[in-house]
Amino acid sequence: MRAENLQAGAALALILATGLIPDLAGSDYWSYSFQFANLLIVAAVLQSVLMHDADQISFGQGAIFGVGAYVSALAMTKLGLPLPLAVICAAAGAGLAGLLYAIPALRVQGYYLGFVTLSLAAVFPELLFAMDAYTNGINGISTPAGAWKQPLLLGLSPLSLFTTALACAAIVGHVLLRRSVVGRKIRVAGASPESAQTLGIRPGLVRSAVFVVTSACTGAAGALYPPIVGFVSPAAFHLELSILLFLAVVVGGRGQILGPVAGIYLLYLLPNVLLVDLIDYRLLAYGLVALGVMLLMPDGLVGTVGQWLSKRRVAAVAHLSPDELPIPPAARRADIAGPEISIRGGTKTFGAVVALDQVDLDIERGAIIGLVGANGSGKTSLINAITGFNKLSGGSIAIRGRATDRMSPAGIARLGIGRTFQTPRIFDHLTAWENIQIGAEARLRPLAAIPEGPLARLRDRLAGSDVRTIPHGQRRSIEVLRAVLTGAEVLLLDEPAAGLSPEERQQLATLLLRLRDEAGKTILLVEHDLDLVWRIADRIVVMERGRIVAQGAPADVADDPAVRQLFAVPAHA
Amino acid sequence: MLEELAFVSVRGLGLGALFALLALSLNVIYQATHILNFAQGSMLVLGGLAGVMLSGHDYGTPIWFAGMLGTGLVMAAVMAVQGVITLWPLRHSTEQQSWLITTLAVSIIISAVLLLTQGPWSSEFIGEVPSFPVLDMRTPLPYLVLPLMAVFWFVALRLFLRRSLQGLALSALSQDLDAAAAAGLHVRRLQIAAFAISGLITGTAGYAAAPIISISAESGIRYVISGFVVAVVGGMGSMAGAIVAGPLVGILAMIATYRFGGQYQGFVSLIVLAGMLFLKPNGLFGFTAARRV
Repeated sequence: MRAENLQAGAALALILATGLIPDLAGSDYWSYSFQFANLLIVAAVLQSVLMHDADQISFGQGAIFGVGAYVSALAMTKLGLPLPLAVICAAAGAGLAGLLYAIPALRVQGYYLGFVTLSLAAVFPELLFAMDAYTNGINGISTPAGAWKQPLLLGLSPLSLFTTALACAAIVGHVLLRRSVVGRKIRVAGASPESAQTLGIRPGLVRSAVFVVTSACTGAAGALYPPIVGFVSPAAFHLELSILLFLAVVVGGRGQILGPVAGIYLLYLLPNVLLVDLIDYRLLAYGLVALGVMLLMPDGLVGTVGQWLSKRRVAAVAHLSPDELPIPPAARRADIAGPEISIRGGTKTFGAVVALDQVDLDIERGAIIGLVGANGSGKTSLINAITGFNKLSGGSIAIRGRATDRMSPAGIARLGIGRTFQTPRIFDHLTAWENIQIGAEARLRPLAAIPEGPLARLRDRLAGSDVRTIPHGQRRSIEVLRAVLTGAEVLLLDEPAAGLSPEERQQLATLLLRLRDEAGKTILLVEHDLDLVWRIADRIVVMERGRIVAQGAPADVADDPAVRQLFAVPAHA
Repeated sequence: MLEELAFVSVRGLGLGALFALLALSLNVIYQATHILNFAQGSMLVLGGLAGVMLSGHDYGTPIWFAGMLGTGLVMAAVMAVQGVITLWPLRHSTEQQSWLITTLAVSIIISAVLLLTQGPWSSEFIGEVPSFPVLDMRTPLPYLVLPLMAVFWFVALRLFLRRSLQGLALSALSQDLDAAAAAGLHVRRLQIAAFAISGLITGTAGYAAAPIISISAESGIRYVISGFVVAVVGGMGSMAGAIVAGPLVGILAMIATYRFGGQYQGFVSLIVLAGMLFLKPNGLFGFTAARRV
């Protein structure tokens, strides 16, 4: 948080100084250079939001910028609109173009999306040629800046003020987005789509919305290009511009607030201003700088320098044990007859592999059900089926009598089904407290007020903690608490005790019992620690090769000869 | 009508074979490393440049073949070096997508060097290009050579990957990197070998295609996109898919060029790519991967 504030301060100081001083000094050349640099900074900040916050790869932001520039040029010359209205048109046009990225983003991710955006950016100049009736082909459109370049006060032109304000707004907006609920949801949807779904977020929708919104904003920045440069032509919006924006973020340092500013200065300003005689070497410089940075300082300029500076301060190790987790009081709700979850004939096949084979299971309200079995016996498959991550090949699942076969994982989560994962989904770029907070922000179900005391103590302790300092076993506690805070009535816990010390296991057992008794939660516990399961479960279900081979009270199951064959059941049960 | 059909299908097949060769070479690296080499198109252009420079020798003669072999070996070495550079950050960085940037950077560097040494124009093949008749139309020989070459490399790769010890080890990498490492395979060495094999394929393909393709600083990125489109349509990592999808995409692209003009070739690739990703993201021959949770 403190580092972020520092970076934002530095970025604002740089933008204000470079945006305003050239006008005050009366240097047209520097005014022009920094107006343009500030526009690129806006586009690079938006690229950073896409790349780091939303975890989306786009190699095509230059084309979106170009759409903004062309729409604004057309709006001003053909329709005779004033610049502010042209900016609005450009934002709308670029937002629409962003849909071309957003629609594939619903389905595909990563480098696939990179290639789609790359090919769009590659055909954009060709598209401009093809539509020469409007775009005037290779000659482009001439756009006089008019009064926007005339000094207003102390030599400051409206255009300089406008671009400086826009760049400052981008930096401030980025910081505020990071600290907002929406920003955290975007980050969760990007970093772990599965985890997002358990929080009721639809990751595809979030990704698409981010593409459209960042595109509209990039377009608004592009709208200022025609008045600054004086004309638009296809040559300005080649793939090179898209790659400049992408590399600026990488070279500056991914996820760093100051990163886009540093990247644009290094990749655009330096070659274009200092090496102006060596303009032919610019492309070579991009490539060499990007390669050098990736090999020598993978965290980018700002990231690497930041690490040097923070190395002296030893990060405080946060500690979180299961017995510190606050317990919400039981939610008062009308009693519904029947089990919470009921599965009939549940079958799931992957090719020839049968993961679930005719599973019939009822999970009654307010009970702890222990689900045990060897690795590969279908335990996690069952959780995935209940939560909608894998659709059943046959049979059906009902939650409180409502069939969920056609519901999305996010929709099922909103029915109050929470889960944790075998590998905890912890987000390194959120603080320890934010990792918990995202559960409460999901508000899947109305949650009775959690006792403020313990929660506030936890918040005070974890608010500034880097989640990377928390040992692996305790990360599970974060995920459990996150699920509890969503207000989920059913918790499906996938091996919550793995990696915990014996003492922590005892605390976990106490926590689960309290969640059942005080909060009235229903818990399905998948666990290899049979001692733990036999100690706290009301009922035990044993799976083997996708089938349920035994279920019943712990003592009865322990005596079942079929179960005794599978594993050594704890003797004291 | 018949002539149009013959023109489009013969040239489309040739172009498609080139795309298939690119997809094969992308797939070799993808299988061994799960990396997509953005510089593959630039490598093809380098192979093509070698073809242009050695174009004094008649196309199809033994000397020409020797030139092709030499180009293939040089490109194998070049790409082995690229492999070392690309895999380097993965050794000690948790940032697993560094390859996106390093391969893109290599592609930019090659383009920039071409721009500085060759200028922005396309290098022309000067030597004599033999041709063969298709319904009274003279068709340059490369349109015949490229499909043969695609089949040759497909069969050679298949034999290598299924029969030889090294090839089997590479196949093991494509199944499970961690298990392969645990089984004592020299993962890094095998991955660099995959880059080299990919360079061999791309280098010879560029060399053979030199008379009929545009060899300029900025054409690299278009080739890698075409190769990727074919790889996706065929199913990422599937060699058979690449061989089948290549001609399909090539003929579609040729129809677009013939009907609407060359500038629409990019659109067609884009539409095919977007359509395929939307309808069947795993491609024609891809496997349905179970979702990991």
